[in-house]
Amino acid sequence: MKLYKKEGNALQILSFPNETVEKGDYLLVEDAEAGRGLIVQVIDAQFASIPGVLEELLRSLPDGGELIQGEDVDPLEIAPHITYIQDASLLICKIRASIENENLSPTSSWLPSRSQSTIKKLPLPALLKLAKIDGKLPIVLGGTKDSSLLAIDASSLDGRLNIITGKKETGKSHLSKLLMVNLIGYKATVVVFDLNGEYLSLGMTGDGKRNAYYDKIHVLTPSQNFKLALKQLNLHVLLGILVHALHLPGTSAREFRRIWQALKERDALTLHELGETIRNWNCNQHVRDALFSRYHALVNSGFFTDNVAEATLLEDCLLKAKEEGSGIIINLRNTSAIDRQIVVEYVLGKLVDSLTGWKLKAVFLFAEEAHLYLRETYWDDIVTRMRHFGIFTTFITNQPDTIRENIYRQADNIFLFNFTNEHDLDVVSRAARVDAETVRSIARDLPPHHCLVLGRVVRDFPMVAKVKALDVKTMGETRLFFKDSN
Amino acid sequence: MHSLKPVQTQPFQLNQQNFQQINGFEESTQAFRLRLEPIPLKPIRQESIVAAVDTSTIKIGETSQGIVIAVRGADVWKQNRAYRYVRLGPFVFHITDENKKEVYDALERSYFNYSQEHNHQGAPNFLQMPSRIASLLERWIQTMLSKTMNKGLILFDGSLTSGTPDTPTQRLKDILSTARRRGNIVLAFSKMTNLRVNGHVITDLLPRAAPPYLLETEGLRLKPPMVLLGDVYVARLTRGNCAFRLDIDKEVLPEIRIEATEKLLGNDLLSQSYPETLRLAHILCTFTANEVLAMQHFVTRRYGLQIVNRPDMHRLLFGPFGKGESYS
Repeated sequence: MKLYKKEGNALQILSFPNETVEKGDYLLVEDAEAGRGLIVQVIDAQFASIPGVLEELLRSLPDGGELIQGEDVDPLEIAPHITYIQDASLLICKIRASIENENLSPTSSWLPSRSQSTIKKLPLPALLKLAKIDGKLPIVLGGTKDSSLLAIDASSLDGRLNIITGKKETGKSHLSKLLMVNLIGYKATVVVFDLNGEYLSLGMTGDGKRNAYYDKIHVLTPSQNFKLALKQLNLHVLLGILVHALHLPGTSAREFRRIWQALKERDALTLHELGETIRNWNCNQHVRDALFSRYHALVNSGFFTDNVAEATLLEDCLLKAKEEGSGIIINLRNTSAIDRQIVVEYVLGKLVDSLTGWKLKAVFLFAEEAHLYLRETYWDDIVTRMRHFGIFTTFITNQPDTIRENIYRQADNIFLFNFTNEHDLDVVSRAARVDAETVRSIARDLPPHHCLVLGRVVRDFPMVAKVKALDVKTMGETRLFFKDSN
Repeated sequence: MHSLKPVQTQPFQLNQQNFQQINGFEESTQAFRLRLEPIPLKPIRQESIVAAVDTSTIKIGETSQGIVIAVRGADVWKQNRAYRYVRLGPFVFHITDENKKEVYDALERSYFNYSQEHNHQGAPNFLQMPSRIASLLERWIQTMLSKTMNKGLILFDGSLTSGTPDTPTQRLKDILSTARRRGNIVLAFSKMTNLRVNGHVITDLLPRAAPPYLLETEGLRLKPPMVLLGDVYVARLTRGNCAFRLDIDKEVLPEIRIEATEKLLGNDLLSQSYPETLRLAHILCTFTANEVLAMQHFVTRRYGLQIVNRPDMHRLLFGPFGKGESYS
């Protein structure tokens, strides 16, 4: 390989056919005389602009597009040299770091010698060692192209905002399950908003047996094994539901506060009493109507109960999780949009409560297709305020444009699966931790189950890994009409 | 400047290619005439093999003693509506003033079995060596074709002028007679000519007749030792303004010559009056820049030669006004 050109932080390297380099590979450009080197990543491979190649191709197709048949008598065997030159490729690389005495720095201001530099492939294990991508809490994501394992440190997800994105059926949920079970394994508390019931069998192996996480996975299905009694609720949590999920106006909310205080003083915080009190409350008719409609929404959700024995305390699950770590799966499958918002509003409010009161240290929140249940103002909350409380969110989506641009800008880690759509790639490339060209070029060619890992977990050295298989029961499969006939 | 006066207001062609070396020796005399009555041609579709030969040479680089050149030849033929080819080479030679005679004699011996004492021409001068070696290869391929084909059409690139340094008369005579014995007809197309009638190049003097047709010439005499072994025609074989000088073996009867041209029309594709087989032969033997790089790679790898880029003296001395040396 030969150094050809440098433009900004992009390097162009001439590579010959016997040097097998592919997109995503790392190269070390070493200038022995200067005692320095550059670590660059191949983001694209093009044909080198060799003079005369067009003529070469044209003359092999002169007969109306059909290849002209013939024999070449080439006693000096020059043909392999022609092929060698013709197949030379130009590697478009991005400078990731410079290296001096095994110390990395992110600068690219230095220019290595074009004539004296040597260029060789940098195996991923060597790069992982140089970049110190290891740690005490490894999570093996999968294998890399050169048959080594890519392990990230669980602590690099701690306090971070993560995004898992890619088009359908590329392995996003699989990776999020992998991260979750590993975090649970390290005694972390993980809460999942499970929109399609994909995580319900996380405690089961593929053949339906209990796995190591069985006891640590708690599935809460609203209105089934996840119900609330009004008595167990804090007013501000319920007000949060009424105002944010059910859009109760401010005046009505004030009236509701008075009703709540009155019921509480009488120790009569039940759904029945609440309904009766609203009916008889001395207030404006419009306010009463507004309160009644929200009351019925609460009742119809089936999420609330007057039977305290029937109610499940999320707080209890969280407290249990605090000691040994566990995964709390909030099953939002078969839940209507309004009910989903009620449940999410409650869970988030409760988490903030528990974290504010230091009942919990921190929670890893996994949110699938969050735009379907997260209210507008929560996006900013999650990346700013809630992070300080200790809610560390991972968004999982196949529609990257449903996540706001500022979330991408502030994302610490992005796990990117294949995208072919230009618009999707455009959106993801707004992430602050990587250049747009890398995202566009590498993500477009990722095979299924291969993930481009960007951000802090890989110390800003984008790496591709094939996400390892996980022995958990697959759920959330798409229902098919022709399944049996296939 | 007075020399420009007679041609003022006349069309003026830019970027005219160099005349072929052979044409420099040919001079049209007062007796030379072009008969403007066209000989109309009708394509004969009776199956005939059409074969063509061309060679090319290129300088790959320079060493302290001489030059490194490459030569390649191509033989293309059309049979059963399909084109096929055999490409010979590239053959790479290191030519120096010291070895040029040895190299040339060795090639001539191996190609034509001529002993040194029969070679009256001697080794060419250093600068002519690339084209002379290419010419040797071309004549050898033509010889092989004339010996192996039957009742076909053999297309040459150039004229049937002999007695020049690179085409001894006997050698061309042998090729033509071998071809005749096996029922082959040799048609030689010249891309450029400087044969003129009344000051005009013969391929510019086209009558207003519908192609395809031939125009006959007469009275062309060459200075000894040059001998013309063909009769010269102007061939306009397709619509458009292109016409070429066509030399056809003198020893072949005139009606057979016309029939051969008609067979060419019926058996080969023609574009701009030029046969596709010959065009392919030219394309296949020509070196591309990519191949030059590959051969430079080959000589450096195989023989450890260092390619030296000599400074371009034109550029060096005249800066932007220096046009640079051309390496074709």
